[in-house]
Amino acid sequence: MASSVACGSSLKMATFEGLSARSLGLRGAEPVGAVDTLIGESPVRRDGRGSSVVTAGLKDLRDRIATVKNTQKITDAMKLVAAAKVRRAQEAVVNGRPFSENLVKVLYNVNEQISTDDIDIPLTTVRPVKKIALVVITGDRGLCGGFNNYVLKKAELRMAELRNMGVAYTIVSIGKKGNSYFKRRPDIPVDKFLDAGNAPTTKEAQAIADELFALFVSEEVDKVELLYTRFVSLIKSDPIIHTLLPLSPAGEVCDISGNCVDAADDEMFRLTTKDGKFSVERETVRTETAEFGGVLTFEQEPVQILDALLPLYLNSQLLRALQESIASELAARMNAMNNASDNAADLKKSLSISYNRQRQAKITGEILEIVAGSGVTV
Amino acid sequence: MDTFRLRVIAPDRIIFDSRAAEVILATNTGLVGILPNHAPLLTGLDIGILKIRTNELWSVVAVMGGFAMVHDNDITILVNEAENAKEINLQEAQEIFQLTQTKVSQADGRKENIEANLNLKRAKARLDAIQEGIKEGTAS
Repeated sequence: MASSVACGSSLKMATFEGLSARSLGLRGAEPVGAVDTLIGESPVRRDGRGSSVVTAGLKDLRDRIATVKNTQKITDAMKLVAAAKVRRAQEAVVNGRPFSENLVKVLYNVNEQISTDDIDIPLTTVRPVKKIALVVITGDRGLCGGFNNYVLKKAELRMAELRNMGVAYTIVSIGKKGNSYFKRRPDIPVDKFLDAGNAPTTKEAQAIADELFALFVSEEVDKVELLYTRFVSLIKSDPIIHTLLPLSPAGEVCDISGNCVDAADDEMFRLTTKDGKFSVERETVRTETAEFGGVLTFEQEPVQILDALLPLYLNSQLLRALQESIASELAARMNAMNNASDNAADLKKSLSISYNRQRQAKITGEILEIVAGSGVTV
Repeated sequence: MDTFRLRVIAPDRIIFDSRAAEVILATNTGLVGILPNHAPLLTGLDIGILKIRTNELWSVVAVMGGFAMVHDNDITILVNEAENAKEINLQEAQEIFQLTQTKVSQADGRKENIEANLNLKRAKARLDAIQEGIKEGTAS
């Protein structure tokens, strides 16, 4: 009796030992390498010798499969929500078009009337650059892949560049992720922390514009640069740096290497589908800047009018940057959640396989026990 | 009745797009009233109030700077931000105005001065708008 029991249990042991961690799919195997990156999953315990101590029983595996299934549902849902929000961000850009179109038209016409030499408007003053304000736009939430990291990395690069050139700088951080990054690094001078919000409105853009206006006009800084991520593609995330202030009287948009784009050329992004998959298209819209057919009386001096126009231009530039940044963040989240869902599917598959194998091994073991036990009596 | 097309546009939305009979703008060189068939005009707007008359009723809007373009019986006003007097609470506007006043007196340094003054102007515009709106009977 005792020997048969011992026999049975040793058989059970043998059966389990035959199942290596590799075949259980719980550690190390290539196809499941991505498994451990699933958010929040705790890795399998490893001991120093390199073989994993697999203590996953049948119940544990079952629970794990259920967890993975739930996580997959969440990541799927988040992906769809992000896609829907991108459409909303698009609409916001389209809603902003009437404003920027009309602004550009008037900007052109006013510039025709004045010679750029005698302009003395605070927002356009070009000064020797001793200090720069760098506006860094990140997101408020995580789970968006490398989005926030790319922006912050670029910010660090720019700060290093400025240090090399001997130019002082201060940061205006927009977005909770950037805020917490800079708060953890007290050696970086930060002027202000602001939150990004879900849907940037003109109130938020105004708050930021106020701060930058005050910084620039009070001559605390001599240049303001804007670091944000343009919505170019769903996969790539490439932050760019634009010179925001001083503005050019004609409203050109320049990046830090001095490449300028006409104010009348506006690029809008669009989320569409191509071959059944999401894709991003950018189209350039050129505003018609035809003359107003002659007599347009200026109530004030052209320079005064320009003075009223340029803050509007500053606001719309900021708003556009915020909108692009949000769209990029949503796209990055879509991507990240898509990958997470795929990983979850893979993990579920391999877990199911190992669960079934274990289950069958247990059944086989029990049968062998019974057979062995009955064999004695026969 | 003679009307003109009036559009008031903010960077993120269109605030007004309809026909009006008269509009009074607060420019940095004084108040300007525009009636139908006005001569072509381009003027900057200060932080102040904008009054629009439609069907004998005046609506009051607080605008935070911008400009107005009058051309061919079509007026386009671009503003940084605008708030209809109907949406402003008189109590709140008064409190905010007093707060900004104290901030201006406490402001230290050029940058803070610029910021504080800007906020004061805006608070005053909001307060003026709601007071004017109550007077005209289109806000409470």
